Amino acid sequence: MSWLLHRIDDRLIHGQVLVAWGARLSPVRMWLVDDAVAANDWERQVYEAAAPGIEVHVVGVAEAAAAWAGEAAAAGGAFLIVRDLATARRLVEAGAPVGEFNVGGLHYAPGKTKVAEYVYLDDADRADARALLARGVTLEVRDVPASRRHGLQEMDPGVRP
Amino acid sequence: MSASAGGPAAGNGRAAGGRVPALLVTHAGLAPALLEAAKRVYGPFEGVEMISNEGLSRDALQERIVSIAGGWPAGGLVLTDFWGGSCHTSGLAAAGSCHGVVILSGVNLPMLLDYLHNRDTMDISTLAERLQQKGRDSIRVQRGPGA
Repeated sequence: MSWLLHRIDDRLIHGQVLVAWGARLSPVRMWLVDDAVAANDWERQVYEAAAPGIEVHVVGVAEAAAAWAGEAAAAGGAFLIVRDLATARRLVEAGAPVGEFNVGGLHYAPGKTKVAEYVYLDDADRADARALLARGVTLEVRDVPASRRHGLQEMDPGVRP
Repeated sequence: MSASAGGPAAGNGRAAGGRVPALLVTHAGLAPALLEAAKRVYGPFEGVEMISNEGLSRDALQERIVSIAGGWPAGGLVLTDFWGGSCHTSGLAAAGSCHGVVILSGVNLPMLLDYLHNRDTMDISTLAERLQQKGRDSIRVQRGPGA
């Protein structure tokens, strides 16, 4: 069973992940893959305690890539969460053969343009998305399971190869 | 971490006799609705700040929390709507870079009312523990005939 969801979300572990996706897919482990959070003792503890009843691993990209195959063969289901397309790309390029990322939340910041209510991209994001698509990775835009699923390239011409 | 968790030196630095400041961090329009409801029950009051996470990334939300809680000279309370939500994790993450901030998750109207009644007389840690208990005690199941 293992990998149930790979999600790109700049809120990391939060309500939609725990309540909406968590209730639908019932993960027993979550892998928060973020070099900055993994290197910050306080923030790592915040996220390790964020999901009651779920084992949370907060790791950097290299460690996540090394652990990916082991988790794929493990009993019980798991989520993996990264904060942006750049981290998703780094994870795949480091050797994690992720087939699909759910794009669940990339909120507004200066220089980014709107793709959906909860997805804003800039040129660097689009380059990362194109690189992932070129590797055969599917990018699905959907905030919660009850929402309609869209391909990122259908919603944003800028990510088409 | 427990249900109430604080950042560095949480609750130890409030000046004697000062009011404990509070910040509500919630999803959508919950915080203004809670404050409006509290005003109906308690009467007019000021001094409770609020932030919605609407449209904000984790980093942007954390920055906004720090912009308020980081300015409290002797700490204060950050009240969030539910454990594990972005309001809560961002509040906790923000507390790590502030002084004397205590986080309380699961804010409800009884907790907010009790905060208003006691913010001028209690220190931060004692008040936080009291509000945690108040929130829990306010949730009860009662059954009507045939239920």
